[in-house]
Amino acid sequence: MDLGLPTPLFPGNNGRGMERSITVEDLLRDREAILHLENLSPDTGLRRKITQATPGSPGLALAGFMARIRGGRVQVFGETEMAFLASLDPAEAAERLRAFFHHEIPVVFVTKGLEVPPWFLEAAKEYKIPVFRTTLSTGLFFQLLNPYLEAALAPTVSIHGSLADVYGVGLLFVGQSGIGKSECVLDLVERGHRLVADDLVFATRRGNDIIIGYGHELQRHHMEIRGVGIIDVRALFGIRAIRQQKRIEVVVQLEVWDDQRDYNRTGLEEEEAVILGVSLPKVTVPLNPGKNITVISEVVAMNHLLKYAGVDSAREFDQRMREALQVTRKYLEEDYE
Amino acid sequence: MSEVHQVKAASVEVVNRAGVHARPAAALVKAAGRFRSEIHVEKDGLRVNAKSIMGVLMLAAEQGSTLRFTAVGPDAEEALATLTELVRRGFEEE
Repeated sequence: MDLGLPTPLFPGNNGRGMERSITVEDLLRDREAILHLENLSPDTGLRRKITQATPGSPGLALAGFMARIRGGRVQVFGETEMAFLASLDPAEAAERLRAFFHHEIPVVFVTKGLEVPPWFLEAAKEYKIPVFRTTLSTGLFFQLLNPYLEAALAPTVSIHGSLADVYGVGLLFVGQSGIGKSECVLDLVERGHRLVADDLVFATRRGNDIIIGYGHELQRHHMEIRGVGIIDVRALFGIRAIRQQKRIEVVVQLEVWDDQRDYNRTGLEEEEAVILGVSLPKVTVPLNPGKNITVISEVVAMNHLLKYAGVDSAREFDQRMREALQVTRKYLEEDYE
Repeated sequence: MSEVHQVKAASVEVVNRAGVHARPAAALVKAAGRFRSEIHVEKDGLRVNAKSIMGVLMLAAEQGSTLRFTAVGPDAEEALATLTELVRRGFEEE
């Protein structure tokens, strides 16, 4: 089951979520002070788009190997690059830079407060690429820039579901409209758990295996309860009842009870749900009218915590049962009566 | 889940002055809820379930913006016709 709403109708997203980009201006607004940036090209426009989350360094590209350059990636010139360029004849160096700048480079950073020769700035200006200098070392610069770019450009999908923090475990409730996702989350909030977002959850991937869920900025912890209307959970239950974002750890699929379907009776088989290519454990809970899903949700969360603490109740119980059966067989094997 | 249905799509412009605020959103969600098909509505790259009032509200669809509906299911075409008509008539506001 893939949960992320594929949106193939939206141009350029390949069904993997919304394509994201930020402008150089966005990056400056959010990180200028932290990255100790000095603008060396004041006349250059800052509307260029950054689309890649990993910054690059030209490296071998300056030696003429251009095959691996990706457009949309910020480029960091460290001591190696600047020293290599300085070792060349300025005309030759500028020519190599131009060949490199040709590849849709959104912005160039020079680290360690290194001297930037005028032909460098001229070449950048020709391609309208802004150049910034930082006093930070290349390593530290990458360390501070990476998490920002990753967060700003991470692949994101929207999911029709509700996300709550239950005992510190992010439970994402999904299921058809009217099944009772919001009511379930409201019940959980009343029992002291925390709402992240109801009805519309954005999920974004951090690194390879972490999915972070959060709500729309306009929504601000409001939810719709059938028969009551739109309520403000923060106003009703206070600040302790809400959370801005939460890692999604377990997907709880709510379904109308179906006699024909086999539900998981032992917990030995694990179902999974996929969001943005990341597999998450999934629990399918069948509902019939009046069933208390809240306590079941708490148990789902606690069971998840228990598994992380090294206790897999279903498996251990199964193991003990198997051992018990083993003893019986041995006893019978020795019984030659 | 044995039946296979094609995705049907239709776009419509929001005409009522106040845009899709709570009342029109409720009308839209109510209308969508009458159909068995899975219906989504999209604006500016944000795609939400048309049966979810919070989702539809978060589109923040103002007058003049375009909503694109997609539907999959046994009554998809009827659903699209009903929903686009509802938007076209300005949710019978004003």
